[in-house]
Amino acid sequence: MSTDKNRKTAEYTEKIVRKFADHLQSTKEINLNELVINLDNSASIPSVCLFIYSELHGRLSTVVCTDERFNASRSGFVLRYVFSIDNGDDVFIIVTANIQEPGKSFPSIALQIPAALLYEREIKDMFGLVPEGNPDSRSLVLHQDWPKKIFPLRRDFNVDTKVGREPNDYLFTRVEGEGVCEIPVGPVHAGIIEPGHFRFSILGEHIVNLETRLFYTHKGIEKLAENMNLDEALLLSERISGDESVANSIAFCQALERIAEVNITRKAEQTRTVFAELERIYNHLGTLAGISTDAGFAFGSARLNILKEKMMCLNEQISGSRLLFGVNRLGGVGVDLTEQHYVNIIKTLNQVQVSFELLISFLRGKSSFIDRLRNTGVIPIKTAKELGVVGVSARCAGLDIDTRRNHPYADYSKLKVDQHHKTPRDVTRYKVEMQNRVGDALSRFEVRIEDVKDSINIVNTVLNNLSNGDLRVSLDGKLKPFEYALGYAESHRGQTIHWIMIGEDEQIFRYKIRTASFCNWPVIEQAVLNDIVPDFPLVNKSLDLSYSGNDL
Amino acid sequence: MIKDMFKDALKRKPSNELLSNRVNTIRNLLNNEKEISKNYRAMASFIMSSKSESVDQNVKNTLQAVCVTKAFLFEKAGEKYHSIDLGRCIACGRCNEAYPTLIKMERRFDYAFINKSAKTIISSNTSDSPFEKPLNEIGLNLKKRIQKVLRRSISVRAVDAGSCNGCEIEITALNNPIYDVERFGIHFVASPRHADVLLVTGPGSRNMENPLQLTYKATPEPKIVIAAGACACSGGIFGDTYATSGGIDKLVPVDVYIPGCPPRPQALLYGLMLAIDKITSNQQGHQ
Repeated sequence: MSTDKNRKTAEYTEKIVRKFADHLQSTKEINLNELVINLDNSASIPSVCLFIYSELHGRLSTVVCTDERFNASRSGFVLRYVFSIDNGDDVFIIVTANIQEPGKSFPSIALQIPAALLYEREIKDMFGLVPEGNPDSRSLVLHQDWPKKIFPLRRDFNVDTKVGREPNDYLFTRVEGEGVCEIPVGPVHAGIIEPGHFRFSILGEHIVNLETRLFYTHKGIEKLAENMNLDEALLLSERISGDESVANSIAFCQALERIAEVNITRKAEQTRTVFAELERIYNHLGTLAGISTDAGFAFGSARLNILKEKMMCLNEQISGSRLLFGVNRLGGVGVDLTEQHYVNIIKTLNQVQVSFELLISFLRGKSSFIDRLRNTGVIPIKTAKELGVVGVSARCAGLDIDTRRNHPYADYSKLKVDQHHKTPRDVTRYKVEMQNRVGDALSRFEVRIEDVKDSINIVNTVLNNLSNGDLRVSLDGKLKPFEYALGYAESHRGQTIHWIMIGEDEQIFRYKIRTASFCNWPVIEQAVLNDIVPDFPLVNKSLDLSYSGNDL
Repeated sequence: MIKDMFKDALKRKPSNELLSNRVNTIRNLLNNEKEISKNYRAMASFIMSSKSESVDQNVKNTLQAVCVTKAFLFEKAGEKYHSIDLGRCIACGRCNEAYPTLIKMERRFDYAFINKSAKTIISSNTSDSPFEKPLNEIGLNLKKRIQKVLRRSISVRAVDAGSCNGCEIEITALNNPIYDVERFGIHFVASPRHADVLLVTGPGSRNMENPLQLTYKATPEPKIVIAAGACACSGGIFGDTYATSGGIDKLVPVDVYIPGCPPRPQALLYGLMLAIDKITSNQQGHQ
């Protein structure tokens, strides 16, 4: 298995080296599937990135910046562009370039690869590196009243510093013309949801332009982690976004386990898989209920919420927490699935499945409900590709990406439960199905239903083959300073990807978090363009984005 | 043997309550399952017979080291003292793992408190005594009080000041058919101008400071502010940093604190009960 993977990364190395031999300092294959390409000069970032994006079909997964000015071995700031290959090869390509002082700027790739736009603005806010050529010079993470010369993620910034406010304006895009007016919404919304600001420009009730202004819940998680030990940072990773606790903590643990080159036990892998799927089920049920509410169909939402509550009670019975906090531990898991647990899970899932299928067939039969979803909030496949959308939002538009299959982790590599890619016939059938998906709220509704069914199957299969073994293996003494690795998982929102570099004394040097919401938020501005204002809540709910997971 | 148990579980006819009767309300929504499971971790507490019992210095150091939110307090005016700061505990259970004979995880949910200086628990009963009152009983009790004080219902406006959305999930759960708090006279409203109570979650992120204060100003008097969740009570795991303010009470005056990470729906209800009491005592104070 591992040699096969190595062969794949070697293929990609060869392709890149053949094309850019003059611009490369070195290439390195680490952690089984990460291909690190060191550029000699930040000026060659655009050409190399564009080659990987357009020729090798890499999806820009995250951009990591580290401040290594005070490290003995390196100097200056280091940028790492992580591309994920989703065509069946389990490879991540990491393009690395040093930014030397005093220039402190780097060439922007946002015009060629639109997904990079937000990453570059984030780096500008947090590190003070200027992306030359990025069309948007406004602040992103830190709001307009943050002083211009203070950069929180630099190593010489203390996390406890209280920074004053400098009054400043934030300019929204203005749409001008006869009859065009603006509706500002938020940050405090009418419902019980997280804060964010939406600026609609409308003509009548048609949305001409929507601009989102987020990062109201920015809590400095990445900076906070640098002052924590590993176990504390694990607790923090569970609270990146409360409903994605398992996915995010899997990604965190996995990154550290990859740095330590430790294989966790099969039992731990299976336990992680079970909890990841239980998390997916309860969240999808909640979102389906939300879609039903926002489509004005209270019956569906009430019944689906009952199922969600049942799943949350099940979570509590097994793990002690309704949101599955405390399931993952470094080197394994903290919950031992006993026989009583198996019975509980199987029994509850069985009940939920029967009720769910009856309920869904009922919902599908309500034409007023289905009509409300059809052609609402359409995401064109081209937009989805360019913005690097992941998860349900990508699959609803016909992009067949799923981290569980593209980059298997935990027990997914051994699981053959993917109903859509078992035989060549299944694959073709699924391709046709994908082509029929138009990226509207109805497609997202259907994708979520498929996901719930798949998840129930996966849990059943894993539980029936549960092996015995230790819950945890130790990572003590295996984490060498300044080693780094990626950790990734498919949350119910899509791919979550974490990058960790270990510092001295087993502290975290840099913890870069990118949850699915960060990729998926920009798409909402595009999805509402053919709709009217009252469609917005439905579009928003059907995309199910986390503010906290985006703002960090 | 396990497989046999599966077979049994699979054979059992699933309860076909959903849609079998499309008109009637479903009764016993949770199928008589216990409302709060045995494993539920609400809060850490000391298992001690008396308040004066001393804790070994090594134990103190370990406990302080394993607790990410620094919830253990061992100093108070030079006296022997040990307690857990309720507002800080995120119920991760690390202290319980380190000293299972000294610390236990409570299953109760009646931890909401009013006075911040009294928000510590010193020790709990050694016997396992969950807060046994079923949801209905708390709810009906609450309804009586609401009707006595406010005549009809209480309007709550939830404000997220930077939470991880865990607390939001539990607040939303209050409105699902199982908890269904509207039947007790608790109504979630869309505007602070309609609200009696602000239910605030999150550690008070820098970018939410102004919006939260504006929301507070927009709420008509008399108003009650509830800090829900460990983050709102003390900053929780996010602490007091460049981006957070370390608790809602640094930004607006808080009347009731509901600890927990996140607080269970029942705990939120219990906190609302304290809020009603607070309104009553405020009114008496004005007279």
